[in-house]
Amino acid sequence: MALLRFDNFDPVSRLLTLQSELDRALRSPEFNLGLSGPGAYPPINIFESDDTLMLIAEAPGLELTDLKISSAGRTVTISSARRPLKIAGDTHGYHRRERAQGEFTRSMHLPEQFDLARAEAKYEKGMLIVCVPKREEAKPRQINVQSN
Amino acid sequence: MAAQEMETRAKQEVQHQDKSREQTRPGRYFLPEVDIFESEEGLRLWADMPGVDEKDVEVTLKNGMLTIEGVVSLDMYRNLFPVYTEYNVGNYYRQFVVNEDIDNARIGARIRNGVLEVSLPKAEAARPRRIEVKAG
Repeated sequence: MALLRFDNFDPVSRLLTLQSELDRALRSPEFNLGLSGPGAYPPINIFESDDTLMLIAEAPGLELTDLKISSAGRTVTISSARRPLKIAGDTHGYHRRERAQGEFTRSMHLPEQFDLARAEAKYEKGMLIVCVPKREEAKPRQINVQSN
Repeated sequence: MAAQEMETRAKQEVQHQDKSREQTRPGRYFLPEVDIFESEEGLRLWADMPGVDEKDVEVTLKNGMLTIEGVVSLDMYRNLFPVYTEYNVGNYYRQFVVNEDIDNARIGARIRNGVLEVSLPKAEAARPRRIEVKAG
């Protein structure tokens, strides 16, 4: 699997690279989430960099006050709700009602080398992003070669 | 009573049987899920478009065809390595035929937390009026 370098700033090839790399990861899941698999809400993609693990969930329309993220040991739990629209009057006015609503809770086990105690999260553009740093000893490092 | 636990539905890709109607940008497009609500004042539409910035969304109403389009930002993916994925990322596109007579000048749109909200006020002439019925 390739690192998404995007050295090429052309947004077209960026999107095509990302789409094909995500497809590849779909076909070969190397990661075991433990408690919840595909189908649970919200859908999650997981990425790695040299020093961090990033969980990116697509969950549009949440209110920050409703969003709860907690961790215990190696498990991270996300819970929130997609609230129904506040529209005055009756529901006869709906032409379409496709957007999912309800409450959700999703837990994931992370591998040992990630330090959930130092995790940070942000919610922007309807994407929930949780960054979990790698433990110091799990980070890649250069090993010096000595000669006698 | 506990609310029903939500499930993820797979994103639907935009399929163009008619090759003369392809998008100018390559790559996969997804159909955003929408709610559409009609009141006496007009139509309101909400569309889920996670990952789309305010500046990258376009709403047009032309000849009774409403088009919504959102381009996702990819900056957050720079220098990352996908290890596990459940969804793909792409731009959003969807069209609707709008039969109501809409006042084009007063169409409003905004995007907040990945949800596009469009209001399409009805033209004055199209609004329902109450006609008084007299006895006698």
